[in-house]
Amino acid sequence: MTAPVVAAPASPKPHVTLRGEEIPVVLPSRRDPRFKLSAVVITLHILGQTLLDWKVSIAQILITMLLCGVIEFVITFRGQRIIAWPASGILTGSSVALILRASGTRHGDWWSLRGIQWFILAGLISLLAKHLIRPTGKHLFNPSNIGIVWCLLVIGPNHVFAQYLWWGPSRIGQALAFAVIIGGAIWILRAVRMIPMAVSFLVTFAVLTGIFALAGHSFIAIWHVGEISGLEYWVNLAFSPEVLVFVFFMISDPQTAPKPPLGRVVYGAATASVAAALIYFQTTEFGIKVAILSSLTVVCALVPFIEAWCRRRQLAPVELSESRGPTSPARLKPLVVALRRPAVIAALIVAVAAPIDTMALANNNQVVLIERGEVGKANAQ
Amino acid sequence: MPVPETRASGPGPVGKVVAEDPSPMAELTLPNPPPPSILQRAATGFGLLALLVSALFGGNVAGMRERFLGSETPEARPAAVSRGGETTPPDGAPATEAPRQSVLRSQPWWQSVTTLEGTGSMTAPAFAINADAVQWRVKWTCQSGRLLVSAPEQRRPAVDAACPGSDIGYGIQKGKVILQITATGPWQIQVDQSVDVPLFEPPLPAMSAPGARPVLTGSLYRIDQVGTGTVTVYRLPDGSHAVRLDDFFVTANSDLELQFSPLEAPRTTKQVTDNDRSPSIATLDVTTGSLNFRLPAHVDPTQFRSFVIWCEVANSAYSAATLRPA
Repeated sequence: MTAPVVAAPASPKPHVTLRGEEIPVVLPSRRDPRFKLSAVVITLHILGQTLLDWKVSIAQILITMLLCGVIEFVITFRGQRIIAWPASGILTGSSVALILRASGTRHGDWWSLRGIQWFILAGLISLLAKHLIRPTGKHLFNPSNIGIVWCLLVIGPNHVFAQYLWWGPSRIGQALAFAVIIGGAIWILRAVRMIPMAVSFLVTFAVLTGIFALAGHSFIAIWHVGEISGLEYWVNLAFSPEVLVFVFFMISDPQTAPKPPLGRVVYGAATASVAAALIYFQTTEFGIKVAILSSLTVVCALVPFIEAWCRRRQLAPVELSESRGPTSPARLKPLVVALRRPAVIAALIVAVAAPIDTMALANNNQVVLIERGEVGKANAQ
Repeated sequence: MPVPETRASGPGPVGKVVAEDPSPMAELTLPNPPPPSILQRAATGFGLLALLVSALFGGNVAGMRERFLGSETPEARPAAVSRGGETTPPDGAPATEAPRQSVLRSQPWWQSVTTLEGTGSMTAPAFAINADAVQWRVKWTCQSGRLLVSAPEQRRPAVDAACPGSDIGYGIQKGKVILQITATGPWQIQVDQSVDVPLFEPPLPAMSAPGARPVLTGSLYRIDQVGTGTVTVYRLPDGSHAVRLDDFFVTANSDLELQFSPLEAPRTTKQVTDNDRSPSIATLDVTTGSLNFRLPAHVDPTQFRSFVIWCEVANSAYSAATLRPA
């Protein structure tokens, strides 16, 4: 468990006494970099509610944040006997609400609880995955990512969808959103040394989606009349604010990204490549958004292997040859032991199911009907 | 979302393994975990099972996701088989299987229901309006006096007019409708209902008559809007031509027109408008299904290389098909 990952409180350490037991209290600190991220996310939420016509209510956002915060607080308290400000949980909740949408929610229904069960489920799945799927002793998957992907795939396009790739209708809102995203990215990514990873993702993704655009790929979206193809296809994918949020504020989580700098560059390029490979089959915006999000789920499962590869590169050739040794049943034993561990099995199921289920969306006629707006007044998005 | 790496003064990460072995397996095999209790084992097994089931659910295997969580897609409805209200093909048409079911919707179109005529006042024979019909209309003519046509469950009469005259009145009552006619002279009423189901017409008998043959064929592709299905141009035994659209769908709009273009494969509206086109050969009232259209005598389809669905209102080429010899 990685919580609490917060800055040290000033001495003397605050504590509370509960039934005779002294319990440390870890209060939020202004030096905690998660505050930067929270500031960016909350600013985007405000823009979404005011200028960008986001179909998410204030009630949906607050309940998801509250739920995730309470769960994180309880788990931390039970596991470590400390009272800690649940910054990670709240951040997970606000990130879920930043991307997930419940079908039928209208912009301006500030207190709508429509589809609140899907937000709660996504939050629960996020934190369950964070605290239960820990094959290397720390959480493997990005919590909000796995919660959103699970919800989009399992609950499906009839009930949930992800924030549109295109943010509008206000030009001022778009400009402000880009300013907040890019400014926030510089502010946050420098601190966590993730800029090379982000560049690696963006360049790989732009090149691959550019090739798709030249090859005549297109997609349909509920907010667009006709297919989106050519330059428009490329711009809507490579420069979508949704994709930028994904790159700058989701895959850049140092807790789930590789630690070595080279590993981070490989991780960024690998995520972009998996995203592009999954996008290749998609003809709808829903499918493309799930493909992008699923790519992180897949690559997070590969992070231990990327880190191991980086460590191998750092070893001297002699050490490396010694560490390799001959292939023998004894060398395979750790693999067999690992595959018997529930956390490894769970990680394997998630890592295999996410891309397969995403590819199944390419053949889902219902998604096509929804994106074409052909399901009448009950249209899901 | 990133949770930046910071150092906490409180308890450090629990269970973190710093492995010297470069193999990822070194991290995947934590040292000596305490043996789980039976309850923990059961919970773990249940959790893995739930994860596996949700993985299958997420793939919508055997449609299970939509079966359990419902669908926004409209339920499939029986498509129409003729422009009349029949559910079976008209006489003379080849027998086909039961009416197709379809979730697709057409631009609302008028399907004839019945024709009524008489002299003076009467209670007309009952007719049925589909439960999902948009509305119905009566196209009336009368010769003398006054004509009043009312449906019992409709507050305002569908027709209340002086004769002689002719016009159209509307109603929205569904199911069994019995019209009360009050008139002093002869009258005639054609009842139509507005439906949005696809229409799957059988091919024209002339298309399979001796001497008839398909001359051109192509598949629709989209230009500004969605268009799918196949186009076949037939030369009929009398030398005239007819077009058949099979398994056809085009984005719904009113007054879409069928035209021919000299271009082999127009890709934009501008390409279509920059070149001479045939005059409109028909107006599409139904936008999905299988449909037949007889071509005007002055249009020779063999002089053109593509077929275009044109929206005059939006000045937009919706869809096109490259025509090749059949």
